[in-house]
Amino acid sequence: MNRFLRRTWAVAHKEVLHILRDARAVYLALGLPVVMLMLFGYGISQDIDHVPMAVVDQDRTPASRRLCQALVAGSDFVREVDLASPDDAEAALRSGRVKAVLIVPLDYGRALARGLPAQAQILVDGSDGTTATIAMGDAAGIVTALSAARAVRSSLNAGPRIRVRFNPAMRSAYNMVSGVIVLILAMVASLLTALTISREWERGTMEQLFATPVSRLEIVMGKLIPYTGLGFVQTLLVLTLGSYLFDIPIRGSLGTLFVCSMLFLLAMLGTGLIASIVAKSQLVAVQFALMVAYMPVAMLSGFMFPIENMPLWLQGIAHAVPGRYYLTTLRGVLLKGNGFARLGEETMALAIFAVGLLAVAVWRFRRRLA
Amino acid sequence: MSVVLALQSLFNVMKKEMRQTVRDRRMLGMLIVSPVLMLVIFGYAIDLDVDRIPTVICDQDGTPASRDLTQAFFADRTFRRGKVFLDPSSAQDALEAGDAAAALIIPRGFARRAARADDPEVQVVIDGTDATRAQVASAAASQFLLLHGIGGEPGVRPAAAISLAPRVMYNQRLKSAIYMLPGVLATLLMNVTAIVMAMGLSRERETGTLEQILVTPIRPAVFLAGKCLPYILFGLVDVLAVLLLGNLVFDVPFRGSFGVIALGAFLYLFSTLGIGILIATVSSSQQQAMLGAVAFMLPAMLLSGFMSPISSMPAWLRPFTMLMPMRHFIEIMRGCLLKGAGIADLAPQMIALAVLGIGILGISIVLFRRRLS
Repeated sequence: MNRFLRRTWAVAHKEVLHILRDARAVYLALGLPVVMLMLFGYGISQDIDHVPMAVVDQDRTPASRRLCQALVAGSDFVREVDLASPDDAEAALRSGRVKAVLIVPLDYGRALARGLPAQAQILVDGSDGTTATIAMGDAAGIVTALSAARAVRSSLNAGPRIRVRFNPAMRSAYNMVSGVIVLILAMVASLLTALTISREWERGTMEQLFATPVSRLEIVMGKLIPYTGLGFVQTLLVLTLGSYLFDIPIRGSLGTLFVCSMLFLLAMLGTGLIASIVAKSQLVAVQFALMVAYMPVAMLSGFMFPIENMPLWLQGIAHAVPGRYYLTTLRGVLLKGNGFARLGEETMALAIFAVGLLAVAVWRFRRRLA
Repeated sequence: MSVVLALQSLFNVMKKEMRQTVRDRRMLGMLIVSPVLMLVIFGYAIDLDVDRIPTVICDQDGTPASRDLTQAFFADRTFRRGKVFLDPSSAQDALEAGDAAAALIIPRGFARRAARADDPEVQVVIDGTDATRAQVASAAASQFLLLHGIGGEPGVRPAAAISLAPRVMYNQRLKSAIYMLPGVLATLLMNVTAIVMAMGLSRERETGTLEQILVTPIRPAVFLAGKCLPYILFGLVDVLAVLLLGNLVFDVPFRGSFGVIALGAFLYLFSTLGIGILIATVSSSQQQAMLGAVAFMLPAMLLSGFMSPISSMPAWLRPFTMLMPMRHFIEIMRGCLLKGAGIADLAPQMIALAVLGIGILGISIVLFRRRLS
């Protein structure tokens, strides 16, 4: 046992020297999460607003102006240009200058004055589906409110009967930041380890390692330890910066947060190790890690695209994405104030992934040598 | 004579590069498998329409009127009917545990108050942790409640006076594969060219083969051109494959001309390869090159309008998106594929892409040569 520890320690020490020698890579590894966090948090907003809109007002009555006003008032739409005729709408959309066109027909005001139903039309650019969907919903809501003789003020914000819990202002930063934390850790952690073993293969130093009495398990463990340390620093950095910069409350138990973060980190480091072992070169290892660690987390964790809306077979695959459980944990702990009691299942799943992926790494490593 | 020589050495470098790429089966697999996989997942998985929001019900009233309201609430598919609870606090618990994302609560006395045209106290509680979903849910719920005379000004019954007829252009059914494809393709090309180029060049330096090539009469510019050309070829093949797959499997339309797309892709590849060379020039190991390429790729993706629209970014950030080649390429692809836009419609984007591509590639070649000498 003592020897095992000593040899593992020796491998870890060698790896630390490798890391420290390439100081720039360390800066990048620590700087990257911060830059990503800032960009996502400040720059990328999923609150779709300021949709550029063209207006074709054929009616030109106070009623039609009120409709245009109502759409622009809540800053959901921005009145970019006024067009003379509906025929120009197509060209405006095609050039990409506007994403929506409001067309108020000629007898709109007269119909309303006589107490008859009136209809206006909105064209939305379906080539940007996100904006199109949300813009249509917003516009419908605004028009219903206008129709219900309610003031323009409550264009989208829920009426008094609707209560949004955990995130009353519906700030997208709340859910962005938790998703970004998952994404950053998945990527950076798996990329960190992806290069360690493939580099030794590429340079031929692996044969030298095999000439020493170090066993496979010791190599894998030794390589894992320093990167766990680095990953831990990253995790702390991202969690503290994220909650500090974006005023994300931490309502739940810190212990749960810590345990789950470590488990997720280990799972991602394991994924990187597997990529590193399976691939022969560093280049392939990176591509492989991006494909198995980063992409599923980005697309199937429920961060950007709701899992309930996926076809059943993909929902099944989504169960095998560790990031999904970590995301639930993060949202639970940060926003809902949950602890182990509510998140037991997720913690278990993460533990299984961490142990399982590391075991696969050791096992594959052994087989390659035989 | 020297032109012939230059062409010959260009051809030789290309041959070497091709052989190196094709030799590693796994690499070749990655170049082919990852585009297909990405497109399939994006095509099937990404359904951005928020609907079927899992909703629990707590109907304390239990009258025909309250049952009608519940029925109507789930009539369009925005909300999906979930478990029924008797007391509101257990319905709230379901939100906390994440079993549901919304709760419809109808208190006792609903039918009585509704009959008296007294504002009935129906409540919808929504889980705000997923802000996008919460926004859609609250908009739909408030619209629903208003239409049923709940929560508006007392006494005012909304006559369905004004209505808005929406029409979606270019992608009538809002299929995600159709509007995601340009972004997927742009990301993919960036991955295939920028990362591979950056790491490939760094590897040549790491293993010392770069010096070996430099002592041959091959000039640095010719060497770089020979390294770039195979990837431009791979890139164009990927474009063709993705477009074909998109068209056959996901019915992505092809309304514009192929020439416009080819020109756009060519100019775009110029800039991504230039970025790859630039990153390789400033980094001293493959690890640095990889991290550098990823550090560039992520902001480039975020700022391209691929995932979140540029119009909703803060004003100070929007000018930076003009510097992203990906933004212009995506606009060209969307315009050409979906809207049938021609070269005249897309001239600004093309010019921007040409300026960026030639600029970046030029700077990178100059820096590379300086670094070598």
